[in-house]
Amino acid sequence: MGVTVLQQFPMTENRTGPQTIEFLTKRIVALGAVQTGQFLVDCETYMSVPQLGVQKTVHVLHNSEQPASVFAVLESGSKVVPLIADGLFDLLMLKMTSIYTSKKQTKIESKGPRFEIGDFCVKLGSVTMSQNFKGVLVEVEYRPCVVPGSAWDLMREFLQGFIGSVVPNQAPQYLQNRMNDIYQPMDTIQQYLEHFGQYRKTTGVI
Amino acid sequence: MFTVRTRIKIPPRAINAHRRPIIYIKHRTMAAPISTAMDSLSAALKSNIIPNQEYLLQGSVLDSAVEVLLHRLRGLCDNVDSGPETFHDHEMCFSIRRGPPPEQPLLLRVRRALDYQDMPWQLRYIGQPELGDKSRPTIVRSSIDIATSNSVVEFLTELGCRLDFEYIVRGYMFRKGRMKVTVSKIFKMGQGKLPESVEPISQSYLVELSVLAPSGQDAIAEDMRIFAEQLRPLVQLEKIDYKRLVH
Repeated sequence: MGVTVLQQFPMTENRTGPQTIEFLTKRIVALGAVQTGQFLVDCETYMSVPQLGVQKTVHVLHNSEQPASVFAVLESGSKVVPLIADGLFDLLMLKMTSIYTSKKQTKIESKGPRFEIGDFCVKLGSVTMSQNFKGVLVEVEYRPCVVPGSAWDLMREFLQGFIGSVVPNQAPQYLQNRMNDIYQPMDTIQQYLEHFGQYRKTTGVI
Repeated sequence: MFTVRTRIKIPPRAINAHRRPIIYIKHRTMAAPISTAMDSLSAALKSNIIPNQEYLLQGSVLDSAVEVLLHRLRGLCDNVDSGPETFHDHEMCFSIRRGPPPEQPLLLRVRRALDYQDMPWQLRYIGQPELGDKSRPTIVRSSIDIATSNSVVEFLTELGCRLDFEYIVRGYMFRKGRMKVTVSKIFKMGQGKLPESVEPISQSYLVELSVLAPSGQDAIAEDMRIFAEQLRPLVQLEKIDYKRLVH
């Protein structure tokens, strides 16, 4: 477990989603990466029923990197409460359907090949929201380090070398706010949630 | 973090080397499509391997009689050499409902070990207890036991759950096969006092015999009836009808 950064890879007119993934796969393999299976991060969002008063939102996420955990993020007013639970938490959400209902049409996931290259782990995700392709999200993890502040420069160099100038020099805002903290799996989830939120808001592909 | 661990026992090479079993481990191949967590959960539900039914019998003994009962349990249960396990937990009982009664509330409990502060907290859903008729030896209620991070209380509170009551529970746990026996004392929450100075709720111990099993394993209830029989007359373990306790 190390520091993880997410980067949207902008889509161009002349390439489809699968073609973009293939294009990036060729690049990373040329750099010496080895494919080590597939990965999947998914997110389902539940809303409280009006009878409960002020609306609250629960995002439930899974990450194939932590297959025995379920991550939940509750948004209630300005408060955000994260929760990590084991797999049966999904069963509990099913019991709550009369109070929290799932917005099925916003079910979103990022899925694709997973690579290892030296100390880095790279995942090329194609993002789909209820079967509609939304864009390509690249995840890069630098595994030997858990402090974002110490890992960022190295990760930026790697990312820029790999996907080019779309990668900004500054760390993503989420990481900037916790440069000296110990990075945890929940931080990866929070970053996915931010990006999923952006994909959900746009009608086309990004 | 909870990780999946698989343990495969392989006999040492020296013994019966020719008889060593061939173990096939299914590796995740590059070609294999990855399944979602929900797919795995539905598969687990379909094959009925999730322990989501609790079979329960309850009773109580006076403080003065607890030593005799503990002695008897030490003799009957599995963990004879190591002695009973002790526990010291804090339990909080929450409820959430869609609207005012007659809407049925959903009951959720949070338990944390005060003696092992690093352990995950337990979040538990408990369904309506089914008493059944006389032929059914135990109460059956649906139950989902979930290990969680320590943010669970804040999570439930913000979710809209109300804390109905809380208490400290301290006691012993025994095992007999799949059955769990707890003998515990319940204390009122100390109001900012030292944990040692908590006040007991009564002059007795709560005794519970329970099994968490996948649904449809009713044979376990019969085992529990027989075991409860062996504890008589030290303690009378019964199906407690909660409805009778409500005024």
